[in-house]
Amino acid sequence: MKTESTQNVAEYYKHLSLFWTDLIHLMSTKPQALTSVGPMRNFAENSKKIAAQLIDANEDLMEFNKHLTKYYKQLTDTWMESQKKVNFKAPEIPNDTEQYEAYKRVWIDIFDNDFTELFDSEKFGENYGKLVANELELTKHWNSIMNVMLKSANLPNKEELDEVYKELHFLRKRISKLESEAHKKVKRTGE
Amino acid sequence: MLHYKPTTEKQSHIPLVIVYALVNRYHILDIHPKKSWVRNLLDQGLEVYMIDWGMPTNMDKYLDFDDYVNGYLDNCVEFVKDEANVDQVSLQGYCTGGTIATVYSSLHPENVKNFVATAPVIDGWRDTTVISNLAKHIDVDQMVDSIGNMPPEFMYYCFSILKPFEQGVEKYVKLFQNIEDKNFVDNFMRIEKWLNDTPPIPGELFKQWIKDIYQENLLIQNKMYVGGKQISLKNIKMSLFTQVAVGDHLVSPECSMPLHYAVASEDKTLRIYPTGHVGMIASSFSQRKVLPELGQWLKERS
Repeated sequence: MKTESTQNVAEYYKHLSLFWTDLIHLMSTKPQALTSVGPMRNFAENSKKIAAQLIDANEDLMEFNKHLTKYYKQLTDTWMESQKKVNFKAPEIPNDTEQYEAYKRVWIDIFDNDFTELFDSEKFGENYGKLVANELELTKHWNSIMNVMLKSANLPNKEELDEVYKELHFLRKRISKLESEAHKKVKRTGE
Repeated sequence: MLHYKPTTEKQSHIPLVIVYALVNRYHILDIHPKKSWVRNLLDQGLEVYMIDWGMPTNMDKYLDFDDYVNGYLDNCVEFVKDEANVDQVSLQGYCTGGTIATVYSSLHPENVKNFVATAPVIDGWRDTTVISNLAKHIDVDQMVDSIGNMPPEFMYYCFSILKPFEQGVEKYVKLFQNIEDKNFVDNFMRIEKWLNDTPPIPGELFKQWIKDIYQENLLIQNKMYVGGKQISLKNIKMSLFTQVAVGDHLVSPECSMPLHYAVASEDKTLRIYPTGHVGMIASSFSQRKVLPELGQWLKERS
């Protein structure tokens, strides 16, 4: 959970950044009037959206870092615990091949068991789920920024491409169904 | 689809269609002449067809269970029926391919004479592997909406946390210990190449997979819908041969075995082998024990 002071600082920078973005946007309307078409005008018009995405991404990045730290803490704690068990079970440092093999076996068995137990646990699954969710939120911000830039350059963005893929998918499915029905009809009638 | 012809004079009448998993590629079943699942079956007189799911691209993100079961798999089965001039085929599904084959056998029982389920993913709530733990905690809607198809890197991560020290340390120690042994290195490289040849999984299929199988566990409860039709395992009345491995750390035996008890088949066999997920299909143990039993079972019913 974020502390109040961290939230205040984030809010302060958010407002400051949006203020300047608004100002730049207003100032940029003059040169825009000269070049009323083209990517730069589009970009200037949409730059506020990019700034907003970057600010939101920053918040998600903080959450992501929180879960990433927890993730590595879980791994480190398990490692330390496993090493303690290995030291207890095999306190002597191996000094010949046979001893080394036995030590390695103990080490691998204990580490595999403890780490599998961790990966199988509710606490790991929960944190991992949140870590992936935050990473995906960051991806979403990146996609939104790319969409703004692609739109500025009059290129199709992800959502528009997805629409095309969806349409193609249904067309392929329909054609395949029609082909299959035609094939069955030919088989049935022998024509 | 790949077609392999039997190497013997005496041949079984009913061809076998193998539905490989969606994760990794089909060639693990024919990875080495001495450990080849396919070659062994050919040597037992069976005609084998194997489906190559290919490499889905971004354009395939809307492919779902319906497309795989009622589209691709049904097309393959119809093609084999025409080519072999038979009314029914034997169907074998491995791992996630076992789930697809199960759904197909429930929806199109008239096309399947014998069904072989090898480590199928059936009862997600009983699965005790780390994969199921991760699957239960991810927001799959968000994942598919943001990135489309499930990238192979996600699967590589999942593989890396399965027996991380045995697989991540011991395996390479053994490689360096045997670096002068040409056969060992050859086998090692074949398996490594296969492990690193994971195709992306189409987004919609992955979404339905995680939700219906792992999170809500609909298949075993006969509540799953594919192409608008409810899947009832009671529709499976053909001969069934279920193969599970005790040491399977990808699909635990508890997850696969419920299929044996849920179907309505009268002629059904359950075999539990003391090996692992890959060991069951590509090892000297599978050549010695698993395949002769399967071949015999199939020949008696073909």
